[in-house]
Amino acid sequence: MSVELLSANHAAATAAILAGEANREAGGFGGGVYPITPQTECIELLCAHDFTKGEVVRVESEHSAMAVCMGFSLGGARTFTASASNGLAYMCENVFSAALYRLPVVMMAANRTLGPPWNIWVDHGDSLMLRDSGWIQFFCEDNQEVLDTTLLAFRLAEDPRILLPVLVNQDAFVLSHTMMQTDIPSQEQVDRFLPPLHLPHQIGDSPVTIGGLDFPHETEVHRKQHAEAMDRVFEVYEEVRREFEEVFGRKPEGPVVPYQLEDADIVFVSMGTTGSTVRTLVDRAREKGIKAGGLRIRIFRPFPGEAIRSALGGAKKIAVLDRNISLGLGGVTWSELKDWAPEGSLVQDYMIGLGGGDIRPEHLESLLEDLQKLEHEMHPKIVEVG
Amino acid sequence: MIQASKGLLYPWEKELCGLTRFCLTATNCGGKSGCLPLAGCGEGYNPEVMTKPLEIRVHGRGGQGGVTCAKLLASFFARVGKSVQTFGDYAGERSGAPVRAFTRVSDQAITNRNKVYEPDEILVLDPTLLSKEVLNGLGEGGRLLLNVPEPRWEELEQRFLRFQLGLVDATGIARRHRIGTRSLVIVNTTIAGAYAKMAGLPFDLVEATYQALGFMSNLEAAREAYNGVQVWEPREWPKEREGLSPGEGRALEKVEKRIESLPAHRLSPPTPLKTGSWKTQQPVYTENLAPCNAWCPAGNDVVGFIQAAGKGDVEEAARILARTTPFPGVCGRVCPAPCMEGCNRRELDGAVQIRGLERWVADQGFDVVPEKAVPPKVLDFGVVGSGPAGLSAAYQLALRGHRVRLYEGEKELGGVLRTGIPSYRLPREVLDREVGKILELGVETETGRFLRFEELEMLARNHEALILATGLQSLRKLEVDGAELEGIEQGIGFLHRVNLGECPELSGHVVVLGGGNTAMDCARSALRCGAERVTVVYRRTRLEMPAIREEIREAEEEGVQLLLQRQPIGFEGNRRIERVLLAEVEMGEPDESGRRRPVVTERVEPLACDHVLLALGQSRDLEVLPESWKVHEQRVSVHGEVLPIFLAGDYATGEGTVTHAIGHGRRAADLAMKELGEEVEVFERPDRARAVPATDIRFDHFDRAAPTRMPVLDPGERVRSFEEVNGGFSRSLEAHRCFSCGHCTRCDTCLVYCPEGIIRRQELGYEVDYSYCKGCGICVEECPREAMEMTQ
Ligand SMILES: Cc1cc2nc3c(=O)[nH]c(=O)nc-3n(C[C@H](O)[C@H](O)[C@H](O)COP(=O)(O)OP(=O)(O)OC[C@H]3O[C@@H](n4cnc5c(N)ncnc54)[C@H](O)[C@@H]3O)c2cc1C
Ligand code: SF4
Ligand code: SF4
Repeated sequence: MSVELLSANHAAATAAILAGEANREAGGFGGGVYPITPQTECIELLCAHDFTKGEVVRVESEHSAMAVCMGFSLGGARTFTASASNGLAYMCENVFSAALYRLPVVMMAANRTLGPPWNIWVDHGDSLMLRDSGWIQFFCEDNQEVLDTTLLAFRLAEDPRILLPVLVNQDAFVLSHTMMQTDIPSQEQVDRFLPPLHLPHQIGDSPVTIGGLDFPHETEVHRKQHAEAMDRVFEVYEEVRREFEEVFGRKPEGPVVPYQLEDADIVFVSMGTTGSTVRTLVDRAREKGIKAGGLRIRIFRPFPGEAIRSALGGAKKIAVLDRNISLGLGGVTWSELKDWAPEGSLVQDYMIGLGGGDIRPEHLESLLEDLQKLEHEMHPKIVEVG
Repeated sequence: MIQASKGLLYPWEKELCGLTRFCLTATNCGGKSGCLPLAGCGEGYNPEVMTKPLEIRVHGRGGQGGVTCAKLLASFFARVGKSVQTFGDYAGERSGAPVRAFTRVSDQAITNRNKVYEPDEILVLDPTLLSKEVLNGLGEGGRLLLNVPEPRWEELEQRFLRFQLGLVDATGIARRHRIGTRSLVIVNTTIAGAYAKMAGLPFDLVEATYQALGFMSNLEAAREAYNGVQVWEPREWPKEREGLSPGEGRALEKVEKRIESLPAHRLSPPTPLKTGSWKTQQPVYTENLAPCNAWCPAGNDVVGFIQAAGKGDVEEAARILARTTPFPGVCGRVCPAPCMEGCNRRELDGAVQIRGLERWVADQGFDVVPEKAVPPKVLDFGVVGSGPAGLSAAYQLALRGHRVRLYEGEKELGGVLRTGIPSYRLPREVLDREVGKILELGVETETGRFLRFEELEMLARNHEALILATGLQSLRKLEVDGAELEGIEQGIGFLHRVNLGECPELSGHVVVLGGGNTAMDCARSALRCGAERVTVVYRRTRLEMPAIREEIREAEEEGVQLLLQRQPIGFEGNRRIERVLLAEVEMGEPDESGRRRPVVTERVEPLACDHVLLALGQSRDLEVLPESWKVHEQRVSVHGEVLPIFLAGDYATGEGTVTHAIGHGRRAADLAMKELGEEVEVFERPDRARAVPATDIRFDHFDRAAPTRMPVLDPGERVRSFEEVNGGFSRSLEAHRCFSCGHCTRCDTCLVYCPEGIIRRQELGYEVDYSYCKGCGICVEECPREAMEMTQ
């Protein structure tokens, strides 16, 4: 175990390398990669690693990158790739395929605004575009969380009760290019945490057809199995968290991360790095006697509705900070969360930091003022901070 | 104990040994290893406990390394156990754009992920960035470190009285230490040294950090900055803040609140951005010296003629050559081609075959001798000796419109070109054609008489200036027993006879003594005159043989045998030569010329032979000059008075090649004209050190292509006649292999790579729109042939 100054890009790659090596006695590591800002540093580090077994294949597009990952995964390799923004859009078809094949692929997305016009900064719209693709999705708040989540993502994905791909999201630049001291576990620890992968539908030497024609009645069954696997995620995740703590000595956060929620009237809901800004806001508000609280959604798929409902308790006003926009509707998180808010509460959507503007505590303070004045919900609002 | 605000407890947050808050090894070493690499925890440098996080902002330009600079600062603090965070403010623009980077340092876990708006410290990597905006948020007493050249220090020192100010010429230091690329000096590692000094960090810490990050090659620059940074404490300190430390003073500053209340949405229309205002340096198109041009002793514009030939303008190529040499057809055949030794393409896949191209251009037969100039005053020159030096001098003088009279001892003109170099290497038509061109300029000739003593004195009186280009007339002899035997003769004499047409019949075994061009020509001519077997005997090894490489190869192909490391110590025979006695030679220590000294041993063996040709070297003959003439620095003086008499070619220098003789003849002509009052630029051989080095050529822009080969006659056929051995190129394709070092070819690379898209084609060359050029230097970096550079 060592502590190093790492960017979150490198944190993700480091975790993938450790996880890949942990599978050296079985199918090794596999990955198809294609660079895109702001993910490039991650795959550069990955490409520089000489795996004991397996390899990183540099391909000509994101679509092929995921295709290569699927091949590796079906062959029993522990599989990882990374992308962002329009790269994910181009990969989209195979993103669905990986999930529908029930392959435990892990992907890092350095969330970046979709273009054109071109913008390289953070926005969660790229990964949220894939919310219906059948992948599990995590949103991280700091470098260590990126490393830890990537490691546990493999464990979760490969659990025979789950067998689903996992997307580990990190904010472009705010995480991807920011260096902080990060604890890198030893290979021996990771070996203990991640046993060799045994995929039940792993292909062997004799030819088989995978993903042939599904008749309607078969599709119904497959979708049901997929949905049930999603339903088991939170339960399995609890086990994984505990085992993670046993091996690494720290416990990853749950699907939602509450802050000062016990008695909160006003709650700010966020995903990703905005969570830390929300905590600053809550501290400042509480100094003024306002009962504010924060809730960060860490697992977005499956959607942790129950956990949100119980965390929100008796909150009266809820501000959902959406760093994304579903055009023609509003923020994606807001639209999903509404149904789980306490009865009679006011849920206001603020789409803030679209295109990567720096969301500062002062911005949130003005939202708090706005929220305090509100008597009923307004149309989702776009807040400019850029 | 630090409370992590979100439940996760990082290992470095544990107080493991009680000496430092942030243990980097988690080994509970008790301060013996790891986390404080300087002198162990608690000893040596002891980082202060921080009352609040330290926030640093770095301003630079894309490419200068601002982001790495911020990382370096973070690494300094990480090494002494602080929690750090560092990141850049990334933008779509590339090099040259203003870039900011940030570092936070704290005793607590850092959770703030905003940019730094109220820094405690600011570093400015580029003086042109110094504006009010850059200083935004820096409170009074804050730390400000600027990279500026020394002449501006005095002014700046007066401008920032309220900050702790540091000034350092990081660019100057980094440039001296050659940190950066061809187009850009990288200052980050240098200024970080200055920062360490200002922040009170020990230099060991800088060294340990650079060691860990692999920056040791930049350490000396950092040290120079560490020692050289000038620091002023704040000099204006408001009364109400007395007693406060600078950091605390800053906290009192009121920050302007930028946040507008909702829902007053702003609509910010895009503003036109003149990126030209970012630049600190700008690209210009230049012409740099190509190595071939620097290496050609005749001073030919090699790159010029090859590029013209490559474009299909052969006449222009011939014209370019005609400016400097009357002998492209000769040099294109017999020159040892030093230009090709210098050629940068050697480093990729073999030198451009310049000699072959020169020949090809000459053989196309364009009549391109320049127009004769009309001089302000027609001068009268005498030139003695019609070798390449004398003819080159006559050519240049005649082109300038002067009267030239050429005196030659032989019946025909050409010097060694006619009497020494055999026609299978240099057909006489080629020589005659090129000599003829010179004569067409009106050069008068007087041949058939070797001039000496008073005849020379008379010439000096009859002409306004005299050029002596009489070559190397003294032949080295071998003073050993039997040297007078019949069948032993000077090679030069033999070649003279061969070349003037009285082909001597030879038979049996011919031994040639020597290792230069004369020896090779003797050997190959001997074969052509009927010798059954020819052996070249040389004292040293093959490597030391002065003959042109190709000549040795071709001789061997034809059946000439080399007997190396043998010294002739005597001849034996009955009236006529029968045997030469050869002693074995061992190679000893190098002598002054760098060649290993031959050490003659006692081991002697006879070599039976029928004929011996001596090719042991020549030297100049000063005996023929009038007694009163004293030669000094290639000039003649009488009783201390320097006469307008100039030595040229081998007679002056002994350099021993045709191309040297051509260049030197031209120089002598220039000097003579200048002496007589004509305005001329005297030809100087360019300084080879100034030529574009191969490391500045972007090989990746060029496809690999092997040198073009010439057709050659079959060796068996060659020895039967004096027909030319080499066939020459049939096309000028080889010209396309030339990189055009240092000379723009309008290849559009700069235009394609410019990220701003503001380089435009002009009729000749390109135009850069400097109002948008941000000075990134990418065009210069990408130019395949170093035909651009950045200027301040
Ligand atoms: C056999 C041989 C082969 C060579 N091969 C090559 C080669 O392949 N490539 C290469 O680059 N170099 C070669 N060299 C060297 C090259 O030829 C000489 O360096 C070059 O010719 C020197 O030119 P120059 O004009 O100084 O002298 P020269 O060519 O020697 O010309 C001097 C001229 O002055 C005349 N002269 C001398 N004294 C008098 C006088 N008192 N009165 C009137 N006229 C006089 C001579 O007759 C002669 O014509 C070779 C030399 C020899 C001998
Ligand atoms: S004269 Fe010789 S050195 Fe000069 S360009 Fe020609 S071949 Fe090259
Ligand atoms: S590549 Fe062309 S310009 Fe460069 S040294 Fe060779 S011949 Fe000269």
